[in-house]
Amino acid sequence: MNSAVTDLGKTPSSSIPGAHSFWVQIVAMICLTVVLSLVLPFMKTWPQEWIVPIKGWVTQFFTWLDKEAAIGSLKFKTVTRSISWLLEQPLDWAEYILYRGIKARDLPAMFWIFLPVIGLSVLHTKFGMRRCLMVVATIWAISLADNVLFQFGLFELPHTAMEALGVKKLDALPWIVIVAGAGILGHWIGGWKLALFSAGCIGYLAVMGLWRDSMRTFSIVLVSVPFAVGLGLGLGIWVTRSKRAAAIISPMFDIMQATPHMAYLVPVVVLFGAGQVPAMIATVIFAMPPMARCTILGIQTVSSDVEESGRMSGCTPRQLLWKVTLPSSQRILMLGVNQVVMQTLAMVVIASMVGAQGLGHKLLFSLQQLRLGAAVEQGLAIVLMAVVLDRLTQAYANRAPGELASRETGWKAKKHFWIFLAVAVAAYLLAQFVPLVEKYPRAYTFTLGRNIDFALRAFSKHAYDYINPVRDFITIYMLIPFRDFFLWLPWTTVIGVVGLTAYWLGGIRTTLLTTGLIGFVILITGNWEQGVLTLYLVTSAVILCVLIGVPIGIWASRSDRAARAIMATCDTLQTFPSFIYLIPVIMLLKVGDLSNVIAILAYATVPAVRYTYLGIKRIPDVTIEASIANGTTPFQRLWKVELPIALPEIMLGINQTIMMALAMTAITALIGSSDLGQEIYRALPTADSGRGIMAGLGIAVIGIVADRLIQAWAAERKKQLGIN
Amino acid sequence: MKITKLLATSAIVAASLAFTLPAYAEAESDDPIIMVQNNWTSQLVLSFVVGKTLEGMGYTVEYSPSDSQLQFKAIADGDMHFQVEAWEGSMKTAFEKAVAEDGMIDAGSHSALTREEWWIPDYVLEKCPEAQNWEGLNACAEIFATAETKPKGRFVGPPADWGKNYAARIDALQMNFKAINVGQAATLWAELQSAYDRKEPIVLFNWTPNFIESKFKGRFVDFPKPEKGCMEDKAWGPNPNATGDCGAPHSGWLKKAAWSGLAEKYPKAWGVMQKIDFTNAQIAAAALMVDVDGLSPEEAADKWIAENAAVVESWKK
Amino acid sequence: MAVDAQIKCRNIWKIFGADPEAFMQRYNGKPTADDLAQEGYIGAVRDVSFDVHKGEILIIMGLSGSGKSTIIRCITRLNDPTAGAVEYEGRNLLKATPQELIEIRRHKMGMVFQSFGLLPHRTVLSNVAFPLEVQNLDQLEREKRAMEMIELVGLGGRENYFPRELSGGQQQRVGIARSLAVEPDIWFLDEPFSALDPLIRAEMQDEFIRLQQMLKKTIVFITHDFEEATKLADRIGIMKDGQMVQLCTPEEMVLNPADEYVAEFARNAPRDRIVSAAAIMKKSTAKTPPRVSGASVLANTKIGEIAEQVINSEVPTPVTDAAGMLLGHVDRERITKALFGKGDIV
Repeated sequence: MNSAVTDLGKTPSSSIPGAHSFWVQIVAMICLTVVLSLVLPFMKTWPQEWIVPIKGWVTQFFTWLDKEAAIGSLKFKTVTRSISWLLEQPLDWAEYILYRGIKARDLPAMFWIFLPVIGLSVLHTKFGMRRCLMVVATIWAISLADNVLFQFGLFELPHTAMEALGVKKLDALPWIVIVAGAGILGHWIGGWKLALFSAGCIGYLAVMGLWRDSMRTFSIVLVSVPFAVGLGLGLGIWVTRSKRAAAIISPMFDIMQATPHMAYLVPVVVLFGAGQVPAMIATVIFAMPPMARCTILGIQTVSSDVEESGRMSGCTPRQLLWKVTLPSSQRILMLGVNQVVMQTLAMVVIASMVGAQGLGHKLLFSLQQLRLGAAVEQGLAIVLMAVVLDRLTQAYANRAPGELASRETGWKAKKHFWIFLAVAVAAYLLAQFVPLVEKYPRAYTFTLGRNIDFALRAFSKHAYDYINPVRDFITIYMLIPFRDFFLWLPWTTVIGVVGLTAYWLGGIRTTLLTTGLIGFVILITGNWEQGVLTLYLVTSAVILCVLIGVPIGIWASRSDRAARAIMATCDTLQTFPSFIYLIPVIMLLKVGDLSNVIAILAYATVPAVRYTYLGIKRIPDVTIEASIANGTTPFQRLWKVELPIALPEIMLGINQTIMMALAMTAITALIGSSDLGQEIYRALPTADSGRGIMAGLGIAVIGIVADRLIQAWAAERKKQLGIN
Repeated sequence: MKITKLLATSAIVAASLAFTLPAYAEAESDDPIIMVQNNWTSQLVLSFVVGKTLEGMGYTVEYSPSDSQLQFKAIADGDMHFQVEAWEGSMKTAFEKAVAEDGMIDAGSHSALTREEWWIPDYVLEKCPEAQNWEGLNACAEIFATAETKPKGRFVGPPADWGKNYAARIDALQMNFKAINVGQAATLWAELQSAYDRKEPIVLFNWTPNFIESKFKGRFVDFPKPEKGCMEDKAWGPNPNATGDCGAPHSGWLKKAAWSGLAEKYPKAWGVMQKIDFTNAQIAAAALMVDVDGLSPEEAADKWIAENAAVVESWKK
Repeated sequence: MAVDAQIKCRNIWKIFGADPEAFMQRYNGKPTADDLAQEGYIGAVRDVSFDVHKGEILIIMGLSGSGKSTIIRCITRLNDPTAGAVEYEGRNLLKATPQELIEIRRHKMGMVFQSFGLLPHRTVLSNVAFPLEVQNLDQLEREKRAMEMIELVGLGGRENYFPRELSGGQQQRVGIARSLAVEPDIWFLDEPFSALDPLIRAEMQDEFIRLQQMLKKTIVFITHDFEEATKLADRIGIMKDGQMVQLCTPEEMVLNPADEYVAEFARNAPRDRIVSAAAIMKKSTAKTPPRVSGASVLANTKIGEIAEQVINSEVPTPVTDAAGMLLGHVDRERITKALFGKGDIV
């Protein structure tokens, strides 16, 4: 295959798109491979006996990790379980504070962790490192001795003390405090408008009667976000420091982001078990890459004068990083935090499949019970939380540096904090006497669940008669022939065409990368058919996405009012848990490929819209004015000026659309199909890591190949247009 | 710099404690007992019933949601402790694997019996009066057809990973149907709801006990009763040339699954768990409170305990 | 005259490209411009040697891309030169370990940047105190020192402002205060006033002169503005294509430009402020110069200052040395040609 490619011997950059010979070669490649595959059957279908049992090896590896791996007497499993235990502690505390309340028996473990940590910080500032370490070591030794040899009763001290005082349980923060807290935070960051907005949205969670579940979800967000941010920051810094790290980590991020989140769940479950913590770990893994990317970008874009002034001030490398580089790129870093928050909330539902409690779990349950209205409301709760956190973090990121560092001194400098503290204490005390303060009364909850249910069912009932013929037409005359065509394609043709295109766009390295990935991850593992079906679903969906998304994007660029409405819709569509789309789609369209395509469409059109809009908006005014001066009609202007210039940007949007469509295939698997997404979903229950991981990687490979080809094209095109 | 060192030290301290604490904790019997919660109604209510009973005895109980297949590994590992509903039909393989390989404990069967089979809403009988019998159903297969399956009827099968090969049964019985698999149970119900609202003929996979019975009127389709010979002997059954030409068992088991450490750590609770026994009627009643009366699973559990006080007392003896 | 050289730069090379070290080795450390072009390397600084004298203002001038910013970064080791040596206090800076380098920067060097390089998240006070903060000086002490510097640059009362709340000129004053906070021996200024409006620029130049009169630092100052250079410099070095074309006093440069490139710069120079009377006088031929009494001008006076006197005088004005001895004469014709002529001065 590759020898055929290298024989072409033309420099790839000389004449890219529209190159006559390119198409000639593609046609030649297709003819050659099709004819060959007619003669040699192994060139059409990869023979069963040639399949390398990579899936089995991966599964065996994870089983080995789980059951046997050990360093000396320390079992690998013990290590992972200890990590779980550690991560569980902050989560527990978030839960105690937000909704659970602390029972006496919950105290000891945390007490013995917190005491040294608090003591440590006090001692450290007062007496320095060495003495403080000694004290800590002593505390640790005592608790260890108490633990192993027992019975000084020290370990149980906090527990006993609390019981001696007659306190069985300390209540969690009353709901009113959290609502007020959201408002106060909003006011600190963005003034009254943001304050009202935040408090209103969080308050509405209680009104819907979803307070407890929302707080469960919020606990996970509250703990996962710092972990993801810390990890992302660390990895990002490392990448900017070490070329070797960059070479290893950057492609890993590409793969991680292109792999559907569900594929992470399997190995996580094998290594960390099921429950809140593994769900959190999966969330952190998924949400971390954007933070790392933003860190890298932030560090690389700090102005050289600022960086050099830091160095000339005599900073050590560490001082330079923490005092100069990172604070100066605060804005980009905060955007990273924002991304992490959004990704964390996007994981809420999926994480509940491995044991995360809260809204996601409730939502799946509602879907299972066919209580669509309830599911919609639970989805809405996730959206509300996401929107509030999004606004808060964005407002924070967009503030001028130093703006929040108050010039005032004394209590005024921290007045928001003190007001919050006062509200919290007052409400906490009041809650002992007035139940309304503590818990939002169930009697006042107000839900639209049944109405939504009714409306959806009525819609599906009446719309069905109109939609069904369309559905049948599209399915039979378009989708099924298209699918059969994909399934008929010999593997040699697919790889040959991809390789050839890659060569023209990016040279021999791109060819080797793309064909290599497809070959190793999809072909020889025996996932070819599922891979092709994925490709078929995604291609169909992406074609529709572009046909719908690009015109909407153009429309948005024509009218600011339309733009505002469209962008708001886009935001909601993306945060709304995608699972909810599935049920109405099934009710209208039945189980079948069209349902899959439409469900993907609902989610993946957004980037096509957004990038088209941005691409057109970013065209310099001068260019537009010049074309008006040249006497173009509006249509000519769009077709001959705006679209060609915006095309690279639009292509990047399509790239994103492809990524999202691929991610959605794992979720539309709930409808039922036999693509790679379904493979992941099927691997999950049996914890068959090899199956899940290879299917996930397969999807990632399709994404990466598409990404490389489009990026290469867009880069070339941008260079031609002189756009940066 | 100070902060980093501080954090590093804290981490070391915390980590070292992490290794010592769980060991300590295991001797404590007021550690929470963790009940598995799945995402269907009866299981949720019943796990609250068991949990609240144990709480009444002074135990601390926590609930952890889990996927219906992954749960067994979690129970075997002691991450979760007790599952009140394990179904023969959909969980047999994973259950038996966990018992055999990972040391999970089979805590006995309920009196309740389960059944999984093809199912039709009652209105189908108007268009196809013989549909309750598989041969009658097969005769009017065409009314179940969709654009993709024409002229064959469409059977909406269970999620593919539930380990049921209905395509094989269709072949064995030479039926004029095509089975399609859904991805998830919710998909089945969406199909059913949509068809039910429009009175469109549909035949789909269903099981009992299950909330569907309280929401939709319908019945199972009768297939040749499964007997020993069905799976091994080609000559057995309607098709003399194939095995598997029979229906599913009418009385599948419903078991309880438990962590092996329970007996030692919570001896009394373990005693209760072994005695717990639900009947079909009790399970249906529990699910009904949620699915029809609109109570939350937790409220339903309280109500159920109040109404079945004698039963609950009998477990504690 | 024995001049105390504070910094000695010897044969500094800075080459950008795939593997500069190997490239230098291939050409025995002396690649020509053709060699560079042929192998696709860029010679940002090529074989530059010069001394910076103690207490002088040395201005390095050149167009963008001439290597002037690179050379200052080579001396401060913000960039590591490919080859050469920078001698400071008897040791080669290029061999200093990172730790030594940090120490030197903390105590001996200060630098001002074209776009200020202020930390946006810190107040004026905290920006100025920053170099002291990284030395772990305690807060009271460093803020006291920083306040002194802020007063020195005339920003007293603005210490709690954030950089974004200040004008460009004020921001650069902060930059200057910060660079002086450690009381450096050598002061580097990299186009400090280029980003400012012309009016503010002139004001800041005067401010700079005022400060230098008080502080008497050794200064390396980069600019692309010849007028600024002649206004401030004790000596000017002109760079072109990575090489130092000429290094001398402004007057010498105007009088004897080394090549056409320097002459082009010199042509537009404000001669009235650069050229001294001695340079344009008709030298006295007397073996023993007589003492002059009556109206005369000193030899080192700039011609701008004597112009009026010379033009108003009917006879050539005598030029004397400090002791009052006659050195020569300046007449109307000579001074008019020097001031307004396009070509040669004399």
